[in-house]
Amino acid sequence: MPVALAWASLKRHGTRTLLAMLGVAVAAAMLLDMVMMSTGMRESFRNLLLSRGFQLRLAPKGTLPFDTDATMTNTSGIVRILRQNPDLTTISPVLGGTIHVLRGDSVITASALGLDPRIQGDYELLSGKDPLAPDEIAGNDEFMRATGARTGDTLAVASGYDPQTREYAGTRRLVLTGTIRFLYGASHQRGAAMRLATLQGMSGPDRSDASSLFMIRVRKGTDVEAAGRWIKERVFTVNVISTESALDQVDERLRYFRQLAVILGSVSLFVGFLLVTTLVTVSVNERIGEIAVMRAIGVSRAHVVQQIVLEGVAISLVGAFAGLLLGLVTGRYLNGILSSFPGLPEAIDFFLFQPKAAWTALGLLALSGIAAGVYPSFRASSLPIATTLRQEAIA
Amino acid sequence: MFNLIVILALLQHAIPRTIAIDERLAADAHLAVGDRVLLSAIPESRTADTVIISAIVKRGTDPAEVARSEYRIRLHLDHLQSLAGYGDRVDRFAVATRGDAATAKALAEINSSAFGFEAHRSKDIAVGTSKTFQVVSRFHKAIGVITIVASAIFLLCIMLLKVEERRRDVAALRLIGISRKTVMRAVVIEAALLALVGSALGVGVGWAGSQFINWYYRGVYRTPLAFSIVTPSIVTLAVALSLVLGIAAGILASLRLVRTPPLVLFGR
Repeated sequence: MPVALAWASLKRHGTRTLLAMLGVAVAAAMLLDMVMMSTGMRESFRNLLLSRGFQLRLAPKGTLPFDTDATMTNTSGIVRILRQNPDLTTISPVLGGTIHVLRGDSVITASALGLDPRIQGDYELLSGKDPLAPDEIAGNDEFMRATGARTGDTLAVASGYDPQTREYAGTRRLVLTGTIRFLYGASHQRGAAMRLATLQGMSGPDRSDASSLFMIRVRKGTDVEAAGRWIKERVFTVNVISTESALDQVDERLRYFRQLAVILGSVSLFVGFLLVTTLVTVSVNERIGEIAVMRAIGVSRAHVVQQIVLEGVAISLVGAFAGLLLGLVTGRYLNGILSSFPGLPEAIDFFLFQPKAAWTALGLLALSGIAAGVYPSFRASSLPIATTLRQEAIA
Repeated sequence: MFNLIVILALLQHAIPRTIAIDERLAADAHLAVGDRVLLSAIPESRTADTVIISAIVKRGTDPAEVARSEYRIRLHLDHLQSLAGYGDRVDRFAVATRGDAATAKALAEINSSAFGFEAHRSKDIAVGTSKTFQVVSRFHKAIGVITIVASAIFLLCIMLLKVEERRRDVAALRLIGISRKTVMRAVVIEAALLALVGSALGVGVGWAGSQFINWYYRGVYRTPLAFSIVTPSIVTLAVALSLVLGIAAGILASLRLVRTPPLVLFGR
């Protein structure tokens, strides 16, 4: 009976109910987006960092990977030290730099990574083959488009440009071996990869043994933090960054967005709650005579409470389901905006849909629906029956 | 005379150079003016320079630096060049001109000559470096639109409820001969007043929120940057939007009411 009565009451004021559900839907959409944003960035970044199984990264002391142009000298010496630890199974030094493809009178500039293509964790091969030989290079789609080159073409590539003398530190003829996609590359960024020694050799004497980053895989079952400490004690010129510490750093930088998510999520939930409470309270006030009659003919207090709470929950749940769909659409749109952050890896999502996020939003809204019905149901169930009936009769 | 110059030169060499550090570093490392510290370009270097802290400087209000936790040290140019092994190189020159025309002329002359570097207007650089904030601004606008939609629905709902609550009053007014137009006008004026008072309260809450946000984030990021500013144009926009929404909600709600016959409103 409470379900039927609640349904009848909602149906009686169709426009009002529909508007309330719409209001809750917008609030729910916002809530879902904010729940997705508060957890999505971290999860998305974690997935990206662990996508190739490298648990440790070494960057020049005081910096994050590729945060500055700083490099680590004595790469070969650092590799020798790291190889002393059998728990460090893969050590991949990477050098970042700028290359210039010389095509007739024009010069196309792109960023480049020098690495060991056999063990690297920076790109995935889309077509062709890895640039394994010293005179080979692979580029991403943007690089291919900008240079107009195809796999198999030979390119004149220079690096180490000195603006004072307008000369390059080194120029090589490199064969394009394939198309790649950088995992950490920003969208629309032209990029190429080649062997570490090739880029070092092209970048001038200052960078002949330099690297910007070391990516390290740790043996399964080994304590990653302990391995990090082992490195820290032996190599003083580097910052040892584990996945967890990288996530903490990202959290620190993106703290604003997490806090914004919490604030806007709370406001959305409160607005939804307020809307449902107002609606149910007004609805109860309008039906005060009916409720008194129901109580007079023997309907129990519990039934009255159930009916009113059900009204609140029904509005909240229907609005929430519509809001979840709306939230996915708005989340996608908002993600599109934030993904255009300069330098942000293409693979990072600010609004990552996880079933847990949807359940959290839905659960919070259901709870707010129940809470919204508490005050009006208490008021309805505690009505003095005779007085109310008399007042209604006079009115 | 020659001996005096040599002695002065040696003395000058022996006196440590001075540096300025930012307030964040001073606070974190418990450093004060007059302290001596070792400075080197390479971590744990054995050939570090001993320098004296001569000043503690406030951090700039550059939004691009706000989330960066690194410290800033200011050195004399020649000191940094020798410390970093940079020779006689610099990263950039800042040039002051005598106005827009002089800037344009200087730009054209520098860029047409073969100096090996390029000149940019400060405002062009500002546009380039503020892309992050343009993205944040777009994001805020999108959130703002969603908030406005939610507020509009909320306002409409409240107006509808308020008007519905007055069914009997309106029915009585209609039965004693008050015209539909007058009833509608009364409802719309009420809605406008409600929106106006609500938006005035909202401006107050928004201003207080803005103060809190600035206080909180200035503390978190240790910067004098203003994170939130309530400007007259923002207040005008908020109040105007609220009024328009309120009046629209009032019209919609009152239309429903005046179209219903008075006896039906009475429940007869």
